[in-house]
Amino acid sequence: MALGKHSQAMHFQARAGEKIRNPVLQAALQKARPLFVGKRVKGIASLAEDALDFEQLRTAAKNIRNRTLADLDVWLDIFEARATASGAEVLWARDGAEVSRLVVDIARRHGVTKVAKSKSMLSEEAHLNEALAEAGIRPVETDLGEYIVQLAGETPSHIIAPAVHKTIAEVEALFAKEHGRPLETRTSADIPAMAREARAVLRQHFLSAEMGISGANFLIAETGSAALVTNEGNGRMVTTLPKIHVVITGIEKIVPTLEDLATLMRLLPRSATGQSISNYVSLLTGTKRKGDQDGPEKTVFILVDNGRANLLGSDYQDMLRCIRCGACMNHCPVYFSLGGHAYGWVYPGPMGSVLTPLYTGLENALDLPHASTGCNQCGSVCPVAIPLPDLMHRLREEQHERGLRPWSERLALKAWAWIAGKPALYRWLASRVVRYLNWLADGSGRIQILGLAPAWTAGRDLPVSSSRTFHELYSARKKP
Amino acid sequence: MRLALYVTCLVDLMRPSVGFAALRLLEASGAEVFVPEGQTCCGQPAWSTGNRPLAIDLAKKAIVELEGYDHVVIPSGSCTDQIRNIYPRLLADDPAWGARASALAARTFELTSFLADVAKNDPVASDFNGCVTYHDSCKGLRGLGIKRQPRELLLKVRGLRLKEMPDCEECCGFGGAFAVKFGDVSTQIVDRKCDAITATGADVVVGGDLGCLINIEGRLRRRGDESTRVLHVAEVLAGGGAC
Repeated sequence: MALGKHSQAMHFQARAGEKIRNPVLQAALQKARPLFVGKRVKGIASLAEDALDFEQLRTAAKNIRNRTLADLDVWLDIFEARATASGAEVLWARDGAEVSRLVVDIARRHGVTKVAKSKSMLSEEAHLNEALAEAGIRPVETDLGEYIVQLAGETPSHIIAPAVHKTIAEVEALFAKEHGRPLETRTSADIPAMAREARAVLRQHFLSAEMGISGANFLIAETGSAALVTNEGNGRMVTTLPKIHVVITGIEKIVPTLEDLATLMRLLPRSATGQSISNYVSLLTGTKRKGDQDGPEKTVFILVDNGRANLLGSDYQDMLRCIRCGACMNHCPVYFSLGGHAYGWVYPGPMGSVLTPLYTGLENALDLPHASTGCNQCGSVCPVAIPLPDLMHRLREEQHERGLRPWSERLALKAWAWIAGKPALYRWLASRVVRYLNWLADGSGRIQILGLAPAWTAGRDLPVSSSRTFHELYSARKKP
Repeated sequence: MRLALYVTCLVDLMRPSVGFAALRLLEASGAEVFVPEGQTCCGQPAWSTGNRPLAIDLAKKAIVELEGYDHVVIPSGSCTDQIRNIYPRLLADDPAWGARASALAARTFELTSFLADVAKNDPVASDFNGCVTYHDSCKGLRGLGIKRQPRELLLKVRGLRLKEMPDCEECCGFGGAFAVKFGDVSTQIVDRKCDAITATGADVVVGGDLGCLINIEGRLRRRGDESTRVLHVAEVLAGGGAC
């Protein structure tokens, strides 16, 4: 698969170790985690002000998404017809390579030399910036976080907070270098000033870019519109100033009506940033009309499959409900121990642990479905009730069914299960294990180095409290 | 009422005192308690690794052993979740076994939820002089909805003070095989849990799942904390000298 070459998901273990040993990253993550969690708590609590209940609302949202996915082809046809009628063009892309080819073609035909981009994770799937640069077209990321990540030559580490892994000092170093000014000492009080500095630079790009590229949070079938949810206003610049606007989004992002959009919008910002509504919500339909002050002369929708259609009707269809809020990663103990880059592909956290193997190949991301404690903090906050741990578990089963688990693990499990099926043997072996552990602990009540499970004792002791198993003690007690 | 105590493989191996504490509490609650002899492991390790055939074998074995009782009680949210929520799913394609799995699931309870919600008599009559903080284990909390029950029971213990830690619902990083497959990630997660526990100043951290408790105790000791005690909720409720 073409995507495989870009994915680093097979190196999760090694990258996880690196991330844990990076104190700068750890400081950034530990600062961000309580903010994300706290903001969502407040956002969800605020539903009560409108007499809304989270569980009811998420059932409604889940139903909207399920209904749409059940007839996805129909809704896409309706969208295409309505969008075309309003003056937009609708193109279809099978994979990321086709997305890049279509965008580069449009850019070349219109003599585009610079593209202003608002945030699009799908453009990351397609490696669009690389393709544009190779074609001699300069892509400029205009979401502040994406701008920082682009300056650093990195990829986003979070789907809604792309630069969450960066500290203020790191951003200051990038800005000083890129903006050609001396380095200063910055604290969080300087963030507004740094944002202003970036805005001044980006303003020039908005005015000079001939093409704008955005994603879409939703496509609305009944109106042929794209809904765009942003906080910085860059989305409006990108979609109205350049003469061409290209919307790139996945085929699963469609909802039937504006009323459905309203339901989903009650949950999306609250789940993502805790806001009851984001600073900007744009509904973009067609092209600039007569009498309009601004707007693109040409609007192109590129609707992308890239593995999505394969999930329809599969054990993983629930995943297509995802509205990309980021709540699953914001509540994931694994994500907040590592940050997003450890996951190795576009999407991190629990949703990434499901999507990466599905979109890039099960055999190219063997660790990811196991990179979960099974705590279900993700599933319980998901605004469209995706059972993320169940999907990760199904991927584990598929690894087993396809013979992708290591032979040592299979053998060990088989031996253990065989013994567990024979109680007398199991009892006897358990009594030997307990004596062995007790001998290792040597009266200290703990084992500090255990050859059988070195990964356990690398970070913690193994408490040992008894020299007999429960069943030994219980049988002894029963005897008169 | 004939009641089966399923002690769990972890309690059998690592901390028999939890099994005896559960036994005492259940007897005090008015049940006739049996410890079925053939019990070994519920099969969760096979299930969570994705080995469905082995998980099914062990599920059937447990069903045969446990289905003859009015209730099955387990001092673990994790193993209870396996029997209540996973067994019926594992055996859903087999009508006969599926029905037996569902029948067993409906009669199976985690210890604190049984004592608080089902048991005839209140079994708690212990003293405990100290400040306790409670760690909600993931499967108990999010799989079975256990939150109120252990706290309700703990507050009946004379002299016990409960001080909640921030993020008491956060995972401790154990996750069974996860703690061994991704030992360094697990350590990073349990470190945050240890910070939260230490910040309460509590004398004891209490929980309902031995996996979490061994993980937390192991990390606290490795960090040099020799004083914070780590106890299963059954041990506190049953009082000292349960074994």
